[in-house]
This record gives sequence, structure tokens and C-alpha cells, in this order.
Amino acid sequence: MASADKPINTDVPEKDVFALHFLQSLSNLRRQNTFNSPEKTNDRVKKIKKAAYVSMARAAGGTNRLWSRALLRRAAKENNKVVRLPRRKKRVTCLRRRRSNRRDPVEEEEAERLRNLVPGGGGMETSKLMEETAHYIKCLSMQVKVMQCLVDGLAPK
Amino acid sequence: MLEGLVSPENLSLSSMDMNVLERLKWLQQQQQQVVSRTSDNSPELLQILQFHGSNNDELLQSTFSHFQMLGSGFGPNPNMGFGPSHEAMDGCISRTSSFQMDPVDTMGVMLKNSEENRTISSKNKRKSEVKRREEERTEKKIKVEAETESNMKGKSSMSNTEASSDTSKETSKGASEIHKLDYIHVRSRRSQATDRHSLAERARREKISKKMKYLQDIVPGCKKVTGQAGMLDEIINYVQSLQTQIEFLSMKLAFLNPELELSVEDLYVKQLQDYFTNLPVVIASKPSIMVDVPLFPLDQQGSLDLSVINLSQTTSTEAPSASWETQSRSLYNTSSLGFHY
Repeated sequence: MASADKPINTDVPEKDVFALHFLQSLSNLRRQNTFNSPEKTNDRVKKIKKAAYVSMARAAGGTNRLWSRALLRRAAKENNKVVRLPRRKKRVTCLRRRRSNRRDPVEEEEAERLRNLVPGGGGMETSKLMEETAHYIKCLSMQVKVMQCLVDGLAPK
Repeated sequence: MLEGLVSPENLSLSSMDMNVLERLKWLQQQQQQVVSRTSDNSPELLQILQFHGSNNDELLQSTFSHFQMLGSGFGPNPNMGFGPSHEAMDGCISRTSSFQMDPVDTMGVMLKNSEENRTISSKNKRKSEVKRREEERTEKKIKVEAETESNMKGKSSMSNTEASSDTSKETSKGASEIHKLDYIHVRSRRSQATDRHSLAERARREKISKKMKYLQDIVPGCKKVTGQAGMLDEIINYVQSLQTQIEFLSMKLAFLNPELELSVEDLYVKQLQDYFTNLPVVIASKPSIMVDVPLFPLDQQGSLDLSVINLSQTTSTEAPSASWETQSRSLYNTSSLGFHY
């Protein structure tokens, strides 16, 4: 409550940072030689998608942002790797007990939907969720731009 | 603390065997003084103090005039309130016969009060009218209490003399507590709005609305929507659309370059950076090539050319690096032509 006057900081790095991260992760995918084997396109799509998200998380916040932390953790879980992310100093308190009945139920429901969309939003306070959503939206739009460029560049006339 | 002054005064008065009528007269005099005089009374008080200091030993033989002087000394203090509470009056009654009261002690109290008077007097000019009303009320009280006192006189003549100085302090404390309580009571009426929980809730809402405004600037088409629920709905839709866009684009990439001939070593990173910085900021989701492919379901945002994919597959098997260079060249051409992405 004391940090009410703190300005909202959702600075996003430049486009080329996202592009480099994404290309790196794609080249990593290629090095794994999983693509040479006859694979279904669905798996390929999934892998590229995951690479896109992980590279976005790496490019944007690393472990500084809650959503990027959640994304990286989820990716590490899927790889069956035990990756210890550096612990944050300030932990977000559990929201479940704070929620009271007098708040607007419709609004609360919408916030719940947003929590499911934003990675790592399950334990966030509403104001924190808004901040994270803003940053997440910025990064997502940036990633979409980068991927669009790549697709348009790769598509021969 | 203000009644603390009144209590020794009452004490002195009651110690004299005054009639009730005389007391009432004296009270009227006091009131006239209060109304007429200003609050500058410190020299008079000092005179009285000197008088007391000289007559320190003769207090036992103190006359009625002495006490009247004391009373007149107390009289001009307008901020006394003159509303002796019941506790203070009880204290007075218990000490009605205390002739051996320590004068130095009372003088100390008086000195303190005179100092307080100087500070308070400026404030009390505003409140003088209110004080007058209070005095009118308290006058009635005093009348009633004087009657009760006259009834109590016979009983209270046995009270202890030693405890008198201590109890005077205690009564003054009690009076101050009563004043504090009054003040707190006034604040407690206001405190319904400044409750801790409601304050926290308000701060939280302000925080959320501030961040919602910030989000409104980010999300396109969110400014038309009014209400937090609608805004949240819009935000959710936008996030979902972005996520599906990423999924779709990754699908496109997988189809476009199934062998993934991309590698960072092949790319000229600086050229790539230039390319990306030269790009216009706005994304136009219009695809460059419009070829209708009925088999592919995801043709809302763009079209996929399956023949192109086959082509790229063949070319990539032949010469991957060359194909990438040509692609990058084509990339540059499109960017230089001002192609809208």
C-alpha cells in the first residue's frame, strides 16, 4: 500500500532482442535433430510455439517478471528438468483468503479469467495482475510482430 | 486540567463558611469579569502569587478577603470552562475542611495554568461565544451543586487533610481525561469514513483503477468501453487474440520451413537488426501473397501456400544457405519497397 505512487514500469526491450532470442531458440530446435526424423506437423507447431513463448520470456523479463518466471518454470517442467530459478525477495501473498464477498462478482469473475490467461497469474493480487498483464501484452504484441516479419520474409513470392 | 484550577478555588470557598447566596453573587461577579475582561491576566496572577508567598505561614489565619482575591485571580481566565465535572466536585466536597492545604502546591498548579492560559488565550478568542454558553449552562450546574454542598457540609468536615494536595492533582488529571474524551468523541464521529479497512479498500481501488487506465492506453479499442467489467473483457479478448496469433504464426513457420533451415550462424545479425529497426511499427496483418487454399482451415488472418512449402522443401534440400540468402535478399527488397507489415 505504501508504493501507491510508484510509476508503472512496463518497459519492453527492442524488437531485435526478441528476434535474436527467437532465432536462437529456433536454431537450438534444429540442433536437437528432432526435426530430421519424420514428425507430424502438430508436434512441430507445438515446439515452435513453445520456443516462441520461451524466447519471449527470456527476452522480456528473464526472471524479473512474474509471468516470465511462470513461463520459464512451466517450460522447464515440460522438459523434466529441475531448474532452480533465483528466488525473489518479495513473495506475493496468497490471494484466496483475501477475497471477500462484497466486491463486484462480475468483475471478480473477469479478473479470474484474466488470471487463467496470464501465466503465473494464479497467485497475484488484482493490481499486480494488471501490471503484469500490461507488460505481457506489450511483449506478446512485440513477439507477434517479430514472427510476422519472419513469416513474411520467409514466404517466397 | 482546567477544572483542576476550579477545584481548589471551590475548596477555598467552601472552607469558608459562606452562605449559598454569597456564593451565587460571587459567581455572577465572576461571569461579569469573564465577559468584560480580556484574557491578559498574567500580571494579576503574579501579584496574587506574591501575596500568597508573603502569607505563606499565615494561611491558617487566612481571611475571607484572601480567598476572594484568589477567586478574582481565577475569575478572568475565560478558558476555565467553569464546568466542574462531578468528579471534581466530589473531590471538592471531600476536602471542604482542609485548612492546612499546602499553598505552594496550589501555587504550582496556578503557575502552570497561567502558562497554559497564555498559549490557549489566542485560541479561545474564537471560542469565547461558545464558552459563554457553556458558562451559562455550568452556572446552573453550580447552583444545584452548591445546594447539595450545603447539605453535605456536616458530613464532609471529617475528611483527611494530608490527602488533599494529592487528590487535587488527581482531580485535575480526571478533568483532563474528560476533556480528552470529549475530543476523541468528536473524532469518533468522523472516523466512520476514515476507518482503517475502508481506507485500505479505497487505496486498493485507486491502485487498480490507475492500472486499468494504463492498460486502456495499451489495448486498442478499449477506450470506447465504459465500466471495469467491459474493459476487463476487452483486455481478455486482446490477450487471447495475441496468443492465438502467436500460435497461428508458429504454425505458419512450421509449414513454411519444415526443415528449419534457420541458423544464427547463417544470418548476418547486423543486417537483421537493421531490417528489424527499419520496420514500421504498426503490424498490418494483410498477407503478401493471397492464394486460396481451401484445405487449410486457418485462413482468417492470412493464407498459406502449400505449393510454396513444397518448393521451399525442395530448395532447402538443394542448397540451404543459398536459399536463405535469396530469402533475405527478398526480405530486403520488400522492406525497401515500403512493404506494409
